[in-house]
Amino acid sequence: MDFDLGEQAAALRARLRELIATHIAEDYLGAFTTDPADLDVAQRFCKTLADEGLLTIAWPTEYGGGGGSVWDQTVVREEMWAHHEPRGAQYMGLNWVGPAIMAFGTDEQKRQHLSAIAAGDVIWCQGFSEPDAGSDLANLSTRATPDGDGWRLNGQKIWTSYAGMAQWCVLAARVGSGTRHEGITMFLVPMDTPGITVRPIRSMLGAHHLNEVFFEDAWAGPDAVLGGIGEGWAVIRKALAHERVGIARYARCERLLSALGRELAPVWDQLPPALHSQWARALIQVRVARLLAYRTVRAQEVGETPDVMASAARIAVTQCDQQVAEVLFQALDDESLEAGVRAPLHGAVEDHWRYAQAATVASGTIEVQRMIVSKALLADRSGGRS
Amino acid sequence: MNPVLPDEAVEFAAAAGKAFADLGGVDAAREAEETPSLRATKVADVLRALGVDDLDPRADADTLAAAAALCEAAGRVALPYPVPSVLLRDRSGRPFAVVPDARCRVDHGDLFPTWRVATLDGRSTTATSTDHRLATRLGPFVSDLVAGTEAAASSSTDVAIDVAVHLTLTAWHILGTADRAVELAVEHVSDRIQFGKPLSAFQAVQFQLADAAVAVAGLRELALFTLWRLTVAPEAATADVLALRVHALDVARAVLRTTQQLHGASGVCDEYDISVLTRHVQPALRLPCSAERAAAELTAAIERDGFDGLFPHGSIAARSSAG
Repeated sequence: MDFDLGEQAAALRARLRELIATHIAEDYLGAFTTDPADLDVAQRFCKTLADEGLLTIAWPTEYGGGGGSVWDQTVVREEMWAHHEPRGAQYMGLNWVGPAIMAFGTDEQKRQHLSAIAAGDVIWCQGFSEPDAGSDLANLSTRATPDGDGWRLNGQKIWTSYAGMAQWCVLAARVGSGTRHEGITMFLVPMDTPGITVRPIRSMLGAHHLNEVFFEDAWAGPDAVLGGIGEGWAVIRKALAHERVGIARYARCERLLSALGRELAPVWDQLPPALHSQWARALIQVRVARLLAYRTVRAQEVGETPDVMASAARIAVTQCDQQVAEVLFQALDDESLEAGVRAPLHGAVEDHWRYAQAATVASGTIEVQRMIVSKALLADRSGGRS
Repeated sequence: MNPVLPDEAVEFAAAAGKAFADLGGVDAAREAEETPSLRATKVADVLRALGVDDLDPRADADTLAAAAALCEAAGRVALPYPVPSVLLRDRSGRPFAVVPDARCRVDHGDLFPTWRVATLDGRSTTATSTDHRLATRLGPFVSDLVAGTEAAASSSTDVAIDVAVHLTLTAWHILGTADRAVELAVEHVSDRIQFGKPLSAFQAVQFQLADAAVAVAGLRELALFTLWRLTVAPEAATADVLALRVHALDVARAVLRTTQQLHGASGVCDEYDISVLTRHVQPALRLPCSAERAAAELTAAIERDGFDGLFPHGSIAARSSAG
């Protein structure tokens, strides 16, 4: 039994922290603020990581990656999220769009897209959810209709993060008249295609996070299909498996709880004892969430498909995100309402609380995760009886 | 990174589980309530046959893992025996327990004439048993020992490690109880038909099961991690061990409440294992202290020593920065 990630991971962590300390300001709160300069910081940092060979450290070498382990990937995820994801929107391309293209793409698609993602040049968005297809994604109704040698795309996507800044979209659309999983097909579509309109949705999360995307007779070429006609569900499953372990929310929680201890040190003894206990319990929850996430990574490492485990980890991680947000707010009391660099911890707590409110919804609601976990529990039981 | 128990520990736990099942499973706990002397005969014999006398969790990492797995197996059936205490016996065969500050209250204290006991902060002494047991529904085998005046002949470091290992093994016992409670709830809601369908067909039931299972899975990971910490940094693991204690208590409280509720009225009937498990685990949850007192100790330990473990994010200690 060993929980040590090893010297290589420790060295990688140290190197990433050094780069972050050099290139990212202490009060940086991510790319998606009202200040466009923050997006520029993220784009520049991606180029820096690419130059250092760190942006795609976990990609296979044949695709220009570093051939790193799943643990290297884990360290990158943790350090980036702990420091307000200075890769901005590009994490999506790195975490799952690239790997999905490696798994399902044609040689031409790989040639066109993988090097661009690896160079830190491109932002992707994912066109999955629709007004009538949220948790029930298989109910999607965006259509792809044959037109000449290509396709006409019609429909509406919603909650699409970064659509306003993305150059490319992985779009899930239905070909033919099938229902549920039948006919679902993935398309790689440039966002500047005529017929695509993006409308930002005002939300408590901040700019760029949520958008509606409308497709009105937008044209996609024959080479836009990823993974074959009607084979989109397999791509989505792979994408979601990556995405569910993709955000190391616990890492930011841990950093903020640590920082809170230091920030409030002068008045620590005057805090209500109940708050001390909540703070300590929040640290435990963060540790538990991290360990459950590691269990999923370990399963990936040994070649298992950790669907149920990933859902369990996600339940713990997202609940932990919200629990920590509330503990931080309780500790800061009335100051919690302040935002911006003059607010406690440079506004990081206020930012975290707002963003945490969507944690149990984004990338598959906690209810869907509970359905997956309980189905497995009860299947074990019926398996035992048969 | 290899976050799993060694194969030997897993095999040992399986053998222990089979032996405890042969003993009657939870029925052994029921019988011991009627005839407490069975603990020193039937139950002790089974443990002896498993080789518990040769198991010292302080010896090395593999033995600690085997001891933890044994305690989990015991927790799954509410085995009426102080397994963590006898695993930590000294050369004279005296078992060890962590006791409350106010009194030497020990589960199964009547089973052995003399004990070594220590408080959470490491004050140790010997203690002798009396024939008196609480004999209550929630503490059928709990006894108050008479504390001796001499300190137990152990160094403070050894006592601190014994305290840490005892708390950790007790957490593994609690983990076993909680894990079994979820299994029992799954069985009950799968079999019980209401409104023409199994209770498990209701999403409200499914979601409660899912939350309980995730809580137990998280406790298991923390229990494994804490074992590893005890192995690689036994003298720096105070906060880690207290964190496990707090979490085990929090998880057990929530999981037992949920799983009892899912049993309906059966959940409080001793004919059903869930009721016996819930009653018999109470001493482990309350001795040497309940969750809030453990959380206060944990907060102090974090402020003093930090809580970085593997994952450093700079000093976490609030008070150390305050100077």
